[in-house]
Amino acid sequence: MSEEQKLSRRNFLSLATLAIGGLISTALVIPAIAYILGPTLQSQKTQEWIPLGSTKKIGLSTPTLFKANIQKQTGWIQSDQEISAYCLTEDGRTFLAISNICTHLGCHVRWITEQQSFYCPCHNGIFDKEGNVVSGPPPRPLDRYEVKVENDQLFIKVG
Amino acid sequence: MIAQFVSWLDERLGWRNVWDTIFKRKVPKVNWLYTLGSATLFVVILQGVTGILLTIYYVPSPDQAYNSVQYITNQLPMGWFIRGLHHWGASAMVVLSVLHMLRVIIYGAYKYPREVTWLTGVVLLFVVIGFGFTGYLLPWDQKAYWATTVGTRIAGVFPGLGNWLMRIMRGGDELSGVTLVRFFGTHVWVLPALLATTILVHLYLVIRNGISAMPNRQE
Repeated sequence: MSEEQKLSRRNFLSLATLAIGGLISTALVIPAIAYILGPTLQSQKTQEWIPLGSTKKIGLSTPTLFKANIQKQTGWIQSDQEISAYCLTEDGRTFLAISNICTHLGCHVRWITEQQSFYCPCHNGIFDKEGNVVSGPPPRPLDRYEVKVENDQLFIKVG
Repeated sequence: MIAQFVSWLDERLGWRNVWDTIFKRKVPKVNWLYTLGSATLFVVILQGVTGILLTIYYVPSPDQAYNSVQYITNQLPMGWFIRGLHHWGASAMVVLSVLHMLRVIIYGAYKYPREVTWLTGVVLLFVVIGFGFTGYLLPWDQKAYWATTVGTRIAGVFPGLGNWLMRIMRGGDELSGVTLVRFFGTHVWVLPALLATTILVHLYLVIRNGISAMPNRQE
């Protein structure tokens, strides 16, 4: 097609229709993407210390399950969420708080006293009492919470 | 290369024929008022797109509907824009449908052989009003609640069947969560299905019969 060729009325109108249509679609698609992605972009992580309970309840060298409720805001819904952690001490002074969420695909692990190990029912992941992987698919040890003790109360950092 | 692929595809789909029938058909010399139907169709598509986007967050339950709408409007990026388009689009829909209908009446375009096109248009007008009525309740605020209380009670004064009609619309004696969900279901499933199929017939008839020329003094 030569540059000299005159733009016919028909061609001009179809180009104009295409351009205006494209403009309107863009004006709709860009806000739509922002709107859909909204909640994924707005993750405001706030860290806070959660009291779990008295350190006296933690058995010596046995993981003990502690539960605490935290307030969670997801979208327009405010709800209580339960946080669970296995707490462990060897000497009564230094404490370990291990998350009960399996590092494989997020199921909840359970302490089995007879086997002295954490067991994940989903894919047979097994961890020792400090959370290190013994066998199964988990790629890394169980996560640990930061802990602090104030007036014999054990706190973990959540967030 | 691309042209080759396009004609390979066309040989199997015959889409060029369809395209030409829809967009390259002959039309008489007409004025801008003849674009009102296309304008209405544009708003229908806009309402469809924004409506689908709204259902991503909206929850049709009495204890969450209001909060989810507030979340869309105030928390989400561009949520106010999507909801605003749907809100104003609803009014535009009614206005454009009525203007389109007036044009058809004034130019006498409903006459032979286009009576059935007109009748499907009447169905579409009722569907549009149904959309407006059911959609108005969904924000679940004071205005929505009382407007629907009044609207369903108007149905209630219909001779004989009134009370029965009102109970069906409300899903019981009172306006409640049951009413909210059935209005939602009607708004997002029943009416869109009805609208889409009726528009298809309407457009088929417009293309099949061609549009009417403007009436002139000599006839």
